[in-house]
Amino acid sequence: MITRSNRELWLAFIAIASISLLYIFTVAMLGGVPPAREFFGHSIGILGFVLMLMTESLYSLRKRSRRAQWGRMSAWLDFHIFTGLVGPFMVLLHSSWKFNGLAGIVMLLTAVIVLSGFIGRYIYTAVPRTADGVELEAGLLESQIAQVDADLQRLLADGPARTRTILERAAAPAQASGGTFAAIFGRALSDLRFRSEWGRARRELDTNTLNRIDQLEGLVRRKRSLYRQVSSLAAARRLLALWHAVHIPIGMVLFTAAFIHALAAIYYATLLR
Amino acid sequence: MKTTRLGCISSTGIITTLLAVLLIGGIAYARGGVLFNPGELNAQAGGRSVGGVASHAETGGRCSACHVPFWEVGGMDDRCLVCHVEIEQSADDFHRVMLAQSQSHQCYNCHTEHRGAQASLTVLDLQRFPHQAVGYSLQAHVTSGAGAAFTCFDCHGGTFGSFNQANCTACHHQINPAFMDAHLADFGDGCLACHDGIDTYGKIFDHNSLAFPLQGEHANAACSGCHAGAVSLAELRQAPHECSACHLEDDAHAGNFGQDCGTCHTPDGWEGAAFDHSLAAFPLTGAHATAACEDCHQGGVFQGTPQDCFSCHAADDAHDGRFGQDCAACHTPDGWEGAVFDHTLAAFQLTGAHATVACEDCHQGGVFQGIPQDCAACHAEPDYHAGQFGIDCAACHDTAAWMPALFDRPHTFPFDHGENGRSECRVCHPDSVASYTCYTCHEHSPADIEQEHREEGISNFSDCTRCHPTGQEEEGGDGGGDGD
Repeated sequence: MITRSNRELWLAFIAIASISLLYIFTVAMLGGVPPAREFFGHSIGILGFVLMLMTESLYSLRKRSRRAQWGRMSAWLDFHIFTGLVGPFMVLLHSSWKFNGLAGIVMLLTAVIVLSGFIGRYIYTAVPRTADGVELEAGLLESQIAQVDADLQRLLADGPARTRTILERAAAPAQASGGTFAAIFGRALSDLRFRSEWGRARRELDTNTLNRIDQLEGLVRRKRSLYRQVSSLAAARRLLALWHAVHIPIGMVLFTAAFIHALAAIYYATLLR
Repeated sequence: MKTTRLGCISSTGIITTLLAVLLIGGIAYARGGVLFNPGELNAQAGGRSVGGVASHAETGGRCSACHVPFWEVGGMDDRCLVCHVEIEQSADDFHRVMLAQSQSHQCYNCHTEHRGAQASLTVLDLQRFPHQAVGYSLQAHVTSGAGAAFTCFDCHGGTFGSFNQANCTACHHQINPAFMDAHLADFGDGCLACHDGIDTYGKIFDHNSLAFPLQGEHANAACSGCHAGAVSLAELRQAPHECSACHLEDDAHAGNFGQDCGTCHTPDGWEGAAFDHSLAAFPLTGAHATAACEDCHQGGVFQGTPQDCFSCHAADDAHDGRFGQDCAACHTPDGWEGAVFDHTLAAFQLTGAHATVACEDCHQGGVFQGIPQDCAACHAEPDYHAGQFGIDCAACHDTAAWMPALFDRPHTFPFDHGENGRSECRVCHPDSVASYTCYTCHEHSPADIEQEHREEGISNFSDCTRCHPTGQEEEGGDGGGDGD
C-alpha cells in the first residue's frame, strides 16, 4: 500500500516497470537486445547517467543549504531515492548485458552504490530529525518521551490499574541484545516482536480501553520508537559518519570511471569512422 | 563546526577521484584499450596470416589497429585495407565493388567486432545491409515466395561482385510462367533497366498514384497496351496520355468528333457516352433532348447534319408545306402542340375582333394559303344595307366591331339634322338604308302630317325629302298642290 513513507519507492517501481515495458517492446522490435552503441542504448544510458548525477549532487547541495525555500529536505530525499533507483536501472539496460572492461566496472560500482544507498537510508532514518532534516538532540527526545507519557496517563486516568500496567509493559524499551548494531539494524525485528506482544496485550484490555485502542497504540509505538532512538542515537551517528566515509569514495570512483567510459565511448563509437 | 562542503570536493573525494584516474590511466597505459573493450575480438584463425595476425584477437589491446584517432586522416575502412590488401588487388572482388560503389557503406556494417571470440565476424542482415547503395534495393526481396529469407547466394550465386539478370527471370518464371513469358516478350530481359528493387513496378506498384491512374477498363489493360516496346524507366514514363494515342483505331466516329474521347466517354467503356450536345452548333432542347442520336445522325454521320427543321420533320408537316419549311416560326422544340402563329407576319393581319376568332373560322378545311382577304369572303352583306354600299365593309366599319360604323359618303340629307348632332343611321333608317322615315323623330304623327299637307293641297307627301331635302319645313314652299 502506498503511504507517505514509501511513496518514492512506489514511484520508482512504476517508473522501472514502465521502462521495462519499453525495453521489452524495443527488444521485440529489433529482434534482440538493443546494443549500447545504438540510439536506444545510448539514450537510456545517457538519461540514466544524468539521473545518477542528479542523485549524487542535488540532495547533497540541498543538505548544505539550510534555506527552506529550496523545498523540504524529506522531499529532496524522496527525489534522491527515486533517481537513485531509476537511474541505475536505466544504466543497467544500457549495458546490453555485457560487463566487459571499464563499462563492466562502472556497472558493478553502480550496483554497489545502490546497495550502499539502501543501507545508508536505513541508518539515516535511525537518527531522529525534523522534516527539514535537522537532527534532534537526546534532551529533546527525552522531553518528547515525557510528553507521550503524559498523554498516556491522561487517556488512562479513569481506567483500571491493570490497563496501565499492560500498556506500560508494552511501551517499555525493547531489551537490547546484540549491541548498537542490532539496535540500528534490528528495527524490523523489533517491530515484529512488538506486533506480537501488542496482539497479546489487546486481548487483556477492557472494552472501554479498546474503544480508544488506535490512539493508544500510536502513543505506545511512539514511546517505544523514542526509547530506541535515545538508546541508539550516538551509535547511529557514528555509523552514519562511517557510511559516508565509504559511500562517497565509492561514488567518486563510480563517476570518475563513468565519465572516462563516456569519453571513451565518444572516442571509439560516436566518432567511429 | 560542521562542514558544508560537498562530499565530492572533500579531501577524501578528491583523493579518491585522483586515485581512480591514475588507476584507469595506468591500466590503459599498460594494457592498451583493454579497459574500453566492449567485448572480445574474434579469435577464429583464418588459416593464414593477414597483416601479421591470424585473427583480430591477436592484435591484443592495440585499438589503433582498427580505430583511427580523430586527429588522424582516414577511417576504419582504411585500417581494414591496410591488412586486407587482397580486397583492392582483386579486380572483381565483391568487397572492392562494394567499397567503390558506396561511400556510406562501411566494413563494420557487415563485419561487426567485439561480439566474442567465437562469434561470427560477419553479420549480414539483409534488412540492414544497404543494398540500395549499389543501385538495387532489397525491399521486395526480404523473403522468397515460399516465405524463406533470401540469402546473397539466391540472386548472386557465388560471385557477389556481379549479377546476372538471367537469375531474375529464372526465379520469377517459376513463380508465374505465363506472366513472365508475356513480360519478357513485351519488355525484354533487361530487368534492372526498370526495376529498382523497391517494387516501383512490382506487386505493390500503384499506377493510380501516377499522373495517369488506371480506372475502369484501363485497369484491365495489359501493360504493353500502352507501354509497348518500353525497355527503360524513361521510356515507360513517356507513354502518351492522350486518348487518341491508343484508341484512334477504335474511333466509331471516324474522327468526326475529334480526338478527345474523354469529352464524351469514360474509362468505364465506350458505351454510356455522354455527349454534351449543348456544346454543338445545334443544342438539343425540348423534345430534341430525348431523341435517339440515330434519328438525326443516321449512318453514324455526325458532321454536316442539316440543322433546318424540314430536313427531319418534312414528314411531320401537318400543313403539307403550306407554311413553308421553317417550323420554328410557329413551333418550339417542346412539341408540335402549342404552336404560336404570328399572324402579324401574314398579309392579313388579325386586328380587333379578328384576333380572337378561331383559326378554323377563316381557314376552313385546313386551308391557309389563298384565303381571300376581302371582307365579303367571310362576312355576308347584312339586309340592313344589302345592295346599298357595296362589299367594302372597311369603308364604314373597322375590325373592332360592326358598330359603330362611320358612313362617310355623300348623303343629301344632313347628318346633323335636328339638335342632337350627328344621328345614328337607324334614327332615320330603322329597318334598312333603302328606306327612311321622319316620323321617328318628329312629334307629328302621320295623321297630322297628312291633314296639314292636305290642307295645303298636297297629296303626294309620302316622300318627305323630295320637298324637304335638308329637312327644313320652309323648303316645301307655301303649298300649291303636290309640288310636282
